Amino acid sequence: MTRTRQAYVEELTELEERALGGLDLVAETLTRTLEAIEHSDVELAGMVIADDDRIDGRYLEVHQSILTLLATQQPVATDLRLIAALLHVMKSIERMGDQCVNIAKVIPLSGHEPPRDAEMITDIITMGQQAKSLVSQAKTGFATRDVELSRDLVRQDDVVDHLNRRCFARAIEIGDDVDDREWGITMMLVARALERIGDNAVDIGEQTAFVVTGLFREFEDASHPGPAVG
Amino acid sequence: MIETTANPEAPARRDGEQPAADRRDAEPQRTGRGWGAGKAGSDAKRVDLRDVNLFYGDFHAVADVDMTIEPNKVTALIGSSGCGKTTVLRSINRMHELTPGARAAGTIEIDGEDIYAPGVDPVVVRRLVGMVFQSPNPFPTMSIYENAAAGLALNAKPSKSELDEIVERSLRGAHLWDEVKDRLDKQGSGLSGGQQQRLCIARAIAVEPEVLLMDEPCSALDPVATLAIEDLIQELKSKYTIAIVTHNMQQASRASDRTAFFNLERSGDPGRLVEIDETTKIFSNPEKQATEDYVSGRFG
Repeated sequence: MTRTRQAYVEELTELEERALGGLDLVAETLTRTLEAIEHSDVELAGMVIADDDRIDGRYLEVHQSILTLLATQQPVATDLRLIAALLHVMKSIERMGDQCVNIAKVIPLSGHEPPRDAEMITDIITMGQQAKSLVSQAKTGFATRDVELSRDLVRQDDVVDHLNRRCFARAIEIGDDVDDREWGITMMLVARALERIGDNAVDIGEQTAFVVTGLFREFEDASHPGPAVG
Repeated sequence: MIETTANPEAPARRDGEQPAADRRDAEPQRTGRGWGAGKAGSDAKRVDLRDVNLFYGDFHAVADVDMTIEPNKVTALIGSSGCGKTTVLRSINRMHELTPGARAAGTIEIDGEDIYAPGVDPVVVRRLVGMVFQSPNPFPTMSIYENAAAGLALNAKPSKSELDEIVERSLRGAHLWDEVKDRLDKQGSGLSGGQQQRLCIARAIAVEPEVLLMDEPCSALDPVATLAIEDLIQELKSKYTIAIVTHNMQQASRASDRTAFFNLERSGDPGRLVEIDETTKIFSNPEKQATEDYVSGRFG
């Protein structure tokens, strides 16, 4: 047997690298976003917003390459599953970028003064770092087709969810001062955005499992909570 | 149980059994259940191949095929050249044994009846299992009308009015009627390639077969004619059991409900059935790596 379609194979490999490279862009953006939160850095937040064009651009570029590949190469079997999965992965990446923008937009609202609740900020930064770790794990899981590593994202995401609930509780208990309450609610929006980034990383993990097994199943069904579906 | 040979000089595989060439002259014995004789109206039947092994002389061409071709479905047979898919197809209407030295072993049943059973007339089998070939092959000196009616003349002797009706029905069934109704007396060979192939399909369905076999029916046609034949295949499956050999992966994925992948490990080995499943499964998530490699064109 001789290997055939080398150009196609290379095209497909490059497409996957470009798509997963989008997760590196998200990780970079997330680092800046966390820094902007920690230091209430409005200028840095502005850069996060402007830089989202890079992630959106990557989304459009990969999307176009996928259309071209579908039209010209008629991928089937694992290749077809990979391409279908990459469409979802790119959508998740684009959503993660938008969540960073959502966070960056509310940073000016939180004021230029030091954080009003240091513990809440610590929780949010920890959430952000954990979300960044999930993004990286989702990338490795997909690139190596590691279903177990991808499934582990659910466990890692539980940490994010737990911190999100704690932030919510702290926001409620922040006190009667109007400015404090506004700050607390704003930080809740930040926590919520980070929590969504964690969910997007889990979604990517589900796509990894789809590529490997050919079956799409949510690792956890939010509308029917219970043990993870096998 | 099949044990046949087309070569009258070759020894019969079982004592006391007539060679197939002689059997052709014998009166068909199976007349009780539908396909023996006097069949009224088409009724798709399932085809079961069990432990089928096919030979050309000493050469073992196909080994141990077990598969079911389901009624009212299109089953595509795919695989690289020489893997035995056409040989398998030809065994289903006993054309395989027409090659000198060729023989078959195993069981092939149509709706539970063994088509290789002693006393079964291969000519009757071929009437009930129609075949459309790679190159359109209308009889060159015959008119369009005569071509469509060619199979009938060999079988029953219908009246002129009956014949007119059958010819029209067959040509309509093959989506050709509107294009040829005003020139039925013209030669079939004057039609375009796609029209000729539809004429061959009309000829095949005129005798109301139960199973329709197609051996790369579109390989000599342009894309538009190909799609016309594929549309026709989709309509025909409501009446017939259809098996189609194709080298065109897109055709298999577009036009079939089930796909059987044949392969041979190395040159000189017999071809084997690797995997048969729903076409969507074969093209999205096949079980076997060899199937994946073939359908994705990664190896050739």
